[in-house]
Amino acid sequence: MTSMGISKGKILILATETCAYPGANSVGQAHSSYPTNTFILRVRAPVLFPEYFYLDCFKKGISGIIIMSCGEECPYEGAYHALAKRIDRVYKMMREKNLDIRRLRLTSICTVCNRAFLKEVNDMSVLIEEIGPPEVNAPTSG
Amino acid sequence: MESNPVLNVDALVVGGGIAGLQAAIDLADQNFKVAVVEKDASIGGKMIRLSKVFPTLDCSSCITTPKMAAAAHHENITILTYCNLNSLKRDGNHLMASIIQKPRYVDPEKCIGCRRCEYDCPVYVSDEEQGGFSARKAVYIPFSNAIPQIAIVDTEHCMLCGKCEKACPTSAIDYFQKPIYFTIKAKTAVLATGFELTTLEDKPQYGLGKIPNVIDALQMERLLAPHGPYNRVLRPLDGMEPDSVAYVQCAGSRDKSMGVSYCSRVCCMYAIKQAMLLSGSLPLADITIYYMDIRAFGKGYEQFYQNAKAMGIEFVKAKVAALDAGENGSVTVRYEAQDGVGVTMANHDLVVLSLGMIPGWNPKGVCPVSSASDKFIKTIQPKISPTLTDMDGVFTAGAAAGPKDIVDTITEAGAAAMEASKYLIELQKGHAA
Amino acid sequence: MSSETKPEEKEEKVGVYICYCGGNISDHVDVEAVRDRVEKIPGVAVARTNMFMCSDPGQELIMEDLRDGIVDRVVVASCAPSLHEMTFRSAISRAGENPYIYEHANIREQVSWVHHGEQATDKATLLVSAATAKAVRLKPLEPIRVNAMSHATIIGGGIAGMRAAVDLADRGIEVALIEKSPFLGGQLALLDKLAPTREKASELVSHLASRVINHASIKVHSCTTVEHFEGYVGNFKVGIKKHPLESNAYKEKMKMLNPVHKSAEAFIPFAGVYSGPVPSAAEELVIDTGVIILATGIKSYTPYQGEYGYGEFPEVITLSDLIRNLAENNNGGSLLEINGRKIKSMAMIHCVGSRQIPGIHPEDASGHLNEYCSRTCCSALLNASNVIRETYPKTRVYEFYRDIRTYGRGQEELYEQASKNRVVFIRFESQEAPEVSKNGYSDEFPLLIKAKDILTFGEEVEVPVDLVVLATGVEPNEISKIVDMMKLPVGPDRFLLEVHPKLRPVELPVSGIFLAGTCQAPMDAGEACSGASGAAVKAAALLSRGYVELDPFVADVDIQKCNGTGACVEACLSDGALELVEMEIDGQKVQRAKVTPAFCLGCGACVAVCPENAIDVNGWTLKQYEAMVNAIVAE
Repeated sequence: MTSMGISKGKILILATETCAYPGANSVGQAHSSYPTNTFILRVRAPVLFPEYFYLDCFKKGISGIIIMSCGEECPYEGAYHALAKRIDRVYKMMREKNLDIRRLRLTSICTVCNRAFLKEVNDMSVLIEEIGPPEVNAPTSG
Repeated sequence: MESNPVLNVDALVVGGGIAGLQAAIDLADQNFKVAVVEKDASIGGKMIRLSKVFPTLDCSSCITTPKMAAAAHHENITILTYCNLNSLKRDGNHLMASIIQKPRYVDPEKCIGCRRCEYDCPVYVSDEEQGGFSARKAVYIPFSNAIPQIAIVDTEHCMLCGKCEKACPTSAIDYFQKPIYFTIKAKTAVLATGFELTTLEDKPQYGLGKIPNVIDALQMERLLAPHGPYNRVLRPLDGMEPDSVAYVQCAGSRDKSMGVSYCSRVCCMYAIKQAMLLSGSLPLADITIYYMDIRAFGKGYEQFYQNAKAMGIEFVKAKVAALDAGENGSVTVRYEAQDGVGVTMANHDLVVLSLGMIPGWNPKGVCPVSSASDKFIKTIQPKISPTLTDMDGVFTAGAAAGPKDIVDTITEAGAAAMEASKYLIELQKGHAA
Repeated sequence: MSSETKPEEKEEKVGVYICYCGGNISDHVDVEAVRDRVEKIPGVAVARTNMFMCSDPGQELIMEDLRDGIVDRVVVASCAPSLHEMTFRSAISRAGENPYIYEHANIREQVSWVHHGEQATDKATLLVSAATAKAVRLKPLEPIRVNAMSHATIIGGGIAGMRAAVDLADRGIEVALIEKSPFLGGQLALLDKLAPTREKASELVSHLASRVINHASIKVHSCTTVEHFEGYVGNFKVGIKKHPLESNAYKEKMKMLNPVHKSAEAFIPFAGVYSGPVPSAAEELVIDTGVIILATGIKSYTPYQGEYGYGEFPEVITLSDLIRNLAENNNGGSLLEINGRKIKSMAMIHCVGSRQIPGIHPEDASGHLNEYCSRTCCSALLNASNVIRETYPKTRVYEFYRDIRTYGRGQEELYEQASKNRVVFIRFESQEAPEVSKNGYSDEFPLLIKAKDILTFGEEVEVPVDLVVLATGVEPNEISKIVDMMKLPVGPDRFLLEVHPKLRPVELPVSGIFLAGTCQAPMDAGEACSGASGAAVKAAALLSRGYVELDPFVADVDIQKCNGTGACVEACLSDGALELVEMEIDGQKVQRAKVTPAFCLGCGACVAVCPENAIDVNGWTLKQYEAMVNAIVAE
């Protein structure tokens, strides 16, 4: 496939099925525009993804990842805590590989958090425009 | 009559609008056999004709079509469209409904909904499904997402040229089709006969529908619909994009001179919704709503109203006294402003009448169920069993039992299904005993 | 168990179906261009478009391709999956295929409604391509069937809870009705003659309560709170606690029971129907139940100190106070008498604690505003005004209002009747609310109300009165403990939030938990009963088959890869969902992970920690996500 119109660095959004994903739909219902370089994947809980998944994404050329979790509203008790701990480990691994840790954001977005959603995607979009695509040299597992 | 074919079901649902469909689904999900009788050529009722719905601004079609499909595909539901209910009477433990299926002049078994007849038909007729703003053919499928997708010949306009018959790949056109008479034998029934808009015949002050660029709210629904007649909002007279649009609230409600003294309950909200959609499609247009009281009483409705105010939609507290044709196709609105200086006039490019609701059906002579003084079906225990009528085993839901919005209608349809299923269980017990 | 064929080895035939949504999508996304591009993706057997994919002809397109064997995986690109994922899955079932060979691409809410121009088309293409990448890796799944107990637990013994209880019990389902007080009737029992028919609330409550108490299939648990919750649809466990009278707040009302006839079914005005003996000691029980209906109701808004003089002047009371006064001192006469004072002139103020506007009304202690309309107060107030004008003709009544919302059947007549009864209406704007102050002019009337009347072009009016009645709105009852336990969604208005107001108005996202009555929004009695019966019918449909089918999205262990480290068991968030079991492989006794599907939440916490990638969540596998990312970054 051609690179097409979306030339800017791509942002991967992992949006939880119960909170952030309907939240993104709510932004759509309000017809509020945001950058097109955003790709929302519906997840049951981001706790599913192992550390290497994030690093692999950067290796594949994803410029930024926003995890939009349910935060305190998480329907899986304990999942958010486990996720937060994992993301800390990912940050550590990112530093080791000289990756700007701002490329990975852990946030919580509710079903009607339109403004918070827009702020997150716009901030990330501005950031990756500023710092460019990631360069991952060291190989990762997986 | 005895020789008519008989369809045996547990429950008969009269009306295939959103209330009837929901009641049918809720009964069928409990494994009762249901027949839905609809007078139009498609199920879906008024809701399928709307653009978007308040307060979520969901596309109406997107919410109605799954329910239409769920009912149409349910193994326990039989849908009978284009049928008139001739009579509904009790016969011992059963209800007997005598039904006429009107001729479509198209064999429903053969028609595959390919529309070739429609393409070849030379006759153009004003399309009521599009508010009369665009044309359809004299043989046509009612609308794009109609269920069933079966063509129908409009005999009033058909010239009998025979082109459709030639075009049809399955030889489904049948100019000699006769009405079919049959009987439905049911144990219980739900009346979900819906509403019609108030007519303006009793209201000369609003021009009796003769003033150009005065349209009703259902017509505006079509203008706003994503698959509407113009794909945008234009004035019907001259195709101009209106710079100022006005809504006349309570045009046909809370008005004894029209015989409708009650509040129609949905007009405030649909006017606000349309105003919001208009300000999206016509960002520069001024939108004014002339109202007496804004009745935003449902869940999320008041917040919706406040949002509309914040968006700049103008709300003028006034009862509109009269409408007149103005210059260049504009409409002059004469009103007594409550916060102004008495009788005032304003010109708008397009005026929308927020018409109210009247019953879609009169049981008189068909079924021994009573109507109340507002002519809607009378309910006998409105506080604790809101769907009970005065006929044993017959329940009612939705706008048949008084004006109602979609949310309240769907919930009430569930309630009617609950009453009907209890009635069925009670009958079963009676037989067992 | 896990598939023996690797997806890459077999040729999957994906059908891609792209919806115009009647312009909703096609106005911004070039649907035909998307179709042309995705048709070239390896694995895509066919790509089609339709004006309304969700319509019958749209669904028929898909079903025909499945029946013809052209496709064996389906991707629909249309609106949000919440609207139509189920629609298309069921179409696939009707075509005789497994409904889980389906993936949804959301190109309306997440593309055409937020992006414009060529980039919208490009993004839609990539999303469809990602969905296709996932579809190739989907495998047929079977729903998990669990037996469902023919038993419902209803929380709340108000009118809605009682209505649902009677409906379900009449339908042949056993019911446990949990009520925190010793009385049935809830808020309705605190009313007298209801608008607009003037039916007696006591009679309605008594009628339903006696059916509840005498029904062989209903067990009433009064003085009971919900303490614990676990399980899943069809098989919930609800831990309840019964409280002796010493520990609850209903002692005063209990004193009104005649000690001789201290029996069930007695109606106590402004309390409700006594439903039977109060437990003598605290007791904890567990109820096994198939479904749960929440009917936790509302309470009256309490004005803050000084709101329209409330708490400041004894002559300022709430509508509830007035209703009770009217009921208890219903002697008639020329003047109404309240608290020993003859009322010559009184004011009713609408929208107190309702329709609050940010910036105009102060937030409450927890930072909330009641922005909603409380729906019932207009009619209740007009009803009270009419009763007063008709029973005490010398008492003058002034109503200060913003909008009169007599929307329901017979309610507009109340408004008309009030005008005929010469109730004086004064209309104010929210930002210029009436002011209640001490009357400095005369001793005859203790209070003075000042307002700007819009009905007379903003004229300043001053009305001296003996009494001010505040039409207090309603607020949901405090149920945060239940909300936390059952993980229920709450809207910004603090009422429980249904899945969708039109598609699923009485359902909550947790399967098997339903909403009835005013815990969802303000309603009158009829509307609450309608909602309750609506919830009951859903519960009845769910329980009528005796079993429930659950989503098959649960963890699945690849026994070939698992080497029994137990990392997944440690990471698991749901008790009982994962355990290590001993089994024999190649003649050796080994430990392997085992999933109990009914308890598995499908969160995937186990997936991330497995060193062997031996566990995955069916329908949401890590490999599928990796493939989606690959599709998104593909150049």
